[in-house]
Amino acid sequence: MSPRAAILVLAAVALLAPAGARAAPPPAKRPQHPSPAAAPTKPSAPTRPATQSSAFKLKAGANGAVCLECHSDFAQRLAKPSVHTPVKGRDCVACHDPHASAHPKLLAAEPAAVCATCHDVVPKTAKSTHRPVAEGRCTDCHDPHASGFQSNLVRGGTDLCAGCHAAVTGPAASAKVKHAPVEQGCTVCHAPHGSAAAAALLKSDVPGLCLGCHKVDSPAIAKKHMGYPVKLARCTTCHDPHGSSSSGLLYATVHPPVAKGLCSMCHEPATSANPLQTRQQGVALCRGCHAQRMGRMLDKNRVHQPVAQGACLACHGPHASRQKGLVRANLVVACGACHADTIRRQELSPTKHAPVKQGECTQCHDPHSADAPLMLVNPDGIELCGKCHDWQKHSTHPIGDTKKDPRNRNLTLECSSCHRAHGTGAKHLLPYAKTTDLCTKCHQQYRR
Amino acid sequence: MRTPSKTAVLVALAATIPAAALAAAPAAGLKYERTIYSDTADVALRRPEGVACDDRGAVVVADTGNARLVVFGWKEGALAGGTQVKLAQLPYPVRVQIDGKGFVLALDRRAKRIVRVDAKGAFAGYLEPQGASSNPVTPAAFRVDAADNVYVLDVVAGKVLVVSPEGRVVRELPAPKASGLADVAVDSGGRIYLVDAVTAVVFAADPKATAFQPLSASLKEQISFPTYLTPDNRGKLYVVDQNGNAVVKLGVDGSFLGRELAMGWDDGAVYYPAQLCIDAGGAAFLADRNNDRVQVFQLPR
Repeated sequence: MSPRAAILVLAAVALLAPAGARAAPPPAKRPQHPSPAAAPTKPSAPTRPATQSSAFKLKAGANGAVCLECHSDFAQRLAKPSVHTPVKGRDCVACHDPHASAHPKLLAAEPAAVCATCHDVVPKTAKSTHRPVAEGRCTDCHDPHASGFQSNLVRGGTDLCAGCHAAVTGPAASAKVKHAPVEQGCTVCHAPHGSAAAAALLKSDVPGLCLGCHKVDSPAIAKKHMGYPVKLARCTTCHDPHGSSSSGLLYATVHPPVAKGLCSMCHEPATSANPLQTRQQGVALCRGCHAQRMGRMLDKNRVHQPVAQGACLACHGPHASRQKGLVRANLVVACGACHADTIRRQELSPTKHAPVKQGECTQCHDPHSADAPLMLVNPDGIELCGKCHDWQKHSTHPIGDTKKDPRNRNLTLECSSCHRAHGTGAKHLLPYAKTTDLCTKCHQQYRR
Repeated sequence: MRTPSKTAVLVALAATIPAAALAAAPAAGLKYERTIYSDTADVALRRPEGVACDDRGAVVVADTGNARLVVFGWKEGALAGGTQVKLAQLPYPVRVQIDGKGFVLALDRRAKRIVRVDAKGAFAGYLEPQGASSNPVTPAAFRVDAADNVYVLDVVAGKVLVVSPEGRVVRELPAPKASGLADVAVDSGGRIYLVDAVTAVVFAADPKATAFQPLSASLKEQISFPTYLTPDNRGKLYVVDQNGNAVVKLGVDGSFLGRELAMGWDDGAVYYPAQLCIDAGGAAFLADRNNDRVQVFQLPR
């Protein structure tokens, strides 16, 4: 019997067996007699499932060759520069069950579990883990058989990372001031699977990571920092480690005192005992320059709670930021830190409202204070929506102060009578999946 | 991003879908009774955020958008009156309470002060707590107990103050670390509750406690953005889920017991609900802010 015929016979036996016996056979029930021709890649791996060649009693020389009889396209793959070790050894059954499997691609177990039998890539006490790793999506980055790139990566270097992190790699590529490690590759600073040392997959925490290359005690750098002991500070509060179009890799928005080197406007003098300590605590420090603006904020019906609490730094960075207004992050992130339920509604909505999606919350809401509920910048809902949807102000279903809402005698018809700005479970931000269900709430004569 | 659970997805979508579109709604608990749309002169309510009631049949609405209070009488399911009280000291009333002497206490969100209004509708002074460890006191929410003590949540100072009827601060409790404390409540046993809108955690402090403790882990999967809570003194806490357009029932141990009501414009549905008041007869008055009305429900007997 040829090796291929033997496998077909085994497959037929497996299919004819009772269902309970077929479903995910435990490793112990697999054939146990070793085959001299089927040395497993890592026989000592304790957690490895019994899918090695030995378990299938393959004839000498049959290993791998049997599979290639049908999977002839593998010849091309095997010629690639980086071939996965079991593939190189033609040990297909190291990962696949040749007969049947409850997993895709006839894998012997869940894809991530198959990889984990040999590759223990995440530190036990990881402070950060790459999401594809955590979600078992190893093949997002690696080709399990072969590739043209080192470590079986599906693309090379930064190109691979750019697939998901375009928001970082795009600006980095167009930045006028480049950071040398970024040019060399993301893995100079980041551990691609997980890091036991720091957040954001950094190989060590900031400033330690930066200090590995930058001697901040040198006279030139000390002068740039006005003599302040910045080796104790977090470099990334001012500097963009991925590149910038400002000198010194500073973020696009810099607090004017920082830009002018006037650190001592806010901090104790560089020569004092506590040079990094601020001259005043909390909001009192900000009020020194922003008193008028803060006064206007507080003179409204509704003041956002962080503003009322004087917690300016809950939303703003004091030194520099990628965002306008020194906001700490994109507004989806910054506002979403507290308003996660609102962001979630948008995420679940089949239709996305552009300002919400793009993090332009301030198109509709005043983040500091407002006179209207929901901190809307304009209490007139039609005018507010009309800022972007001007056409709909005069070419739409009747709306306005004279159009009573039939569902509620105190309301008049406006955009939010039918749409919800942060999304719904239905299309077009409508509250009902079927448009007729919405229309017949008022136009009851057309209800079927 | 963490994948939301099925419950969280349902709660998030329920917040945006009217009652009729939801198989689970309307809930069996709160029974719709009637709607208050206007005062006795038929002036419509506008963005009302507060409503208070007492066991003698007084109902006071903080008609926020009209910068006024409206006083009604409530007896055996019938509504009477609807007298307007408009005061210069109350340009933006948002929360109201009625004390044992029939005085109305109203929190003005613009002035950030609690105003006393007498039974004739005249200004009767500000609540000015004496002896607070930090000044000024900036109330974000407040509640009055049966003995007329006032419980003030000061999110700026990070404290809950208990103010005696004479105006003296008789107890101070540090507020727990939370970024969105939205309301304070007290039950008939003197237990104080706080709710954090951001994490949907309810905190409690027993009468002799020196600190608040969370009643449970975050209920964010069941409650979108809780902004108000009130005990019914029958073993349940009623939490108003402002963004979720619902009222959520909790056990006094913080256990989740269910959601009531749903988003919508018709009677019985709510749209950004605000304050809730439950009287001794189980009538529940709910300020239905973005529907420009107050609705009355009956709790299950």
